[in-house]
Amino acid sequence: MAEKIKPPRMKLKRRIKQNEIFKVKVRFDHPSFTGLGMVDENEELFNRAIPSTFIRNMLVYYDDELVSRFRTSSAIADNPLFTFKLKAVKEAPVKIVFIDDQGERWETSKDVKFRT
Amino acid sequence: MSKNRITIVAVLVASLAAATGAYAAKVVEEIQIEGMVSPASPKALTAALEEKLAVKVLGYEFYGTENGWPILKVEFDSGAVSKDQIEKVIDSTKDPSGTSFRVHRGQVKIHLPLLEEETKADGVFAAESPDIGQLTNPIPASADSHTRGQELYVKFCSKCHGMNGNGAGPSAHGFSTDPRQLWSWYQADKSADPYLFWFITNGRSDMPPWGVILSENQRWDLVNYIKTLAPPTN
Ligand code: HEC
Repeated sequence: MAEKIKPPRMKLKRRIKQNEIFKVKVRFDHPSFTGLGMVDENEELFNRAIPSTFIRNMLVYYDDELVSRFRTSSAIADNPLFTFKLKAVKEAPVKIVFIDDQGERWETSKDVKFRT
Repeated sequence: MSKNRITIVAVLVASLAAATGAYAAKVVEEIQIEGMVSPASPKALTAALEEKLAVKVLGYEFYGTENGWPILKVEFDSGAVSKDQIEKVIDSTKDPSGTSFRVHRGQVKIHLPLLEEETKADGVFAAESPDIGQLTNPIPASADSHTRGQELYVKFCSKCHGMNGNGAGPSAHGFSTDPRQLWSWYQADKSADPYLFWFITNGRSDMPPWGVILSENQRWDLVNYIKTLAPPTN
């Protein structure tokens, strides 16, 4: 399964004014399943069905400094779109790291470039 | 399948064996199964096993198993069929929804440890230490409190924490934090009570805040009960 997962995609404005508050959009397609099934309808209890799989953390680095973390659970979608804002204090890369519940890791990065 | 039916089947098989000697080396194996996704799953697996091999499926156990994975109980003549053959059939059978059955062999972890990067982030964004307050448990740890606590525990807590407090209840799956092993509080003294009461009341991550569901006295009964959950002896 894991080999089919493509790296996350990130969007931000090509040129940003210094000290501007800018938007970052990140999209990551990763399967999301609690791993639970319901075999006995009368009991209405969940049993373990298959191994779970979901994004457990998204880390945001700006110039290699950890500036934010999103902790997620098996309730997350399988194609989540994250939007958040940062302040353009320097020309440096914004790096997004995703880690799933099996400890697998993906990353993507884009440079903040000032408009002159 | 009801317990009664399983017993009757077992008795029938036993008497048949006595009469014919057909099950001379009769063995019963318990196999952990992945792929039990719907009510159709056990039927499909039973049909495949009984069709392809001379085995008798005695039944399944879905809840309260040691590590949360469903268990298949199967009976066979070890002279005619091997456990290996049974496992091969399981591993090559699919549920009607297309999900493959697998023998759970223990190497598929529910939660792998956090990466160093994540632990670091936990440090950076750690929650402030909670204000637990100085509470005194008003409910004596009597036999009555134990009975009430046990009833509540089985109903509300065992799905995640396991019947015996091992943290591996059937629903303890796909969480971002594992349910704790509650037996670490076995015979803890009074000083643990405020923390346990606070945690049960407020919850955290995948642990629900029981303060909105259970009364104060019920939560204290649970505190008393948790402290009687003994760790396994072996
Ligand atoms: C939906 C699953 C779930 C249910 C149901 C649940 N718990 Fe929990 N419990 C957890 C998880 C997950 C943790 C760990 C939370 C964390 O550390 O972020 C936990 C932690 C705890 C702790 C903290 C233990 C420690 O060592 O610090 C206590 C006490 C506890 N649960 C008691 C209970 C009681 C009592 C009930 C029933 C009223 C209950 N839980 C029901 C999932 C659950």
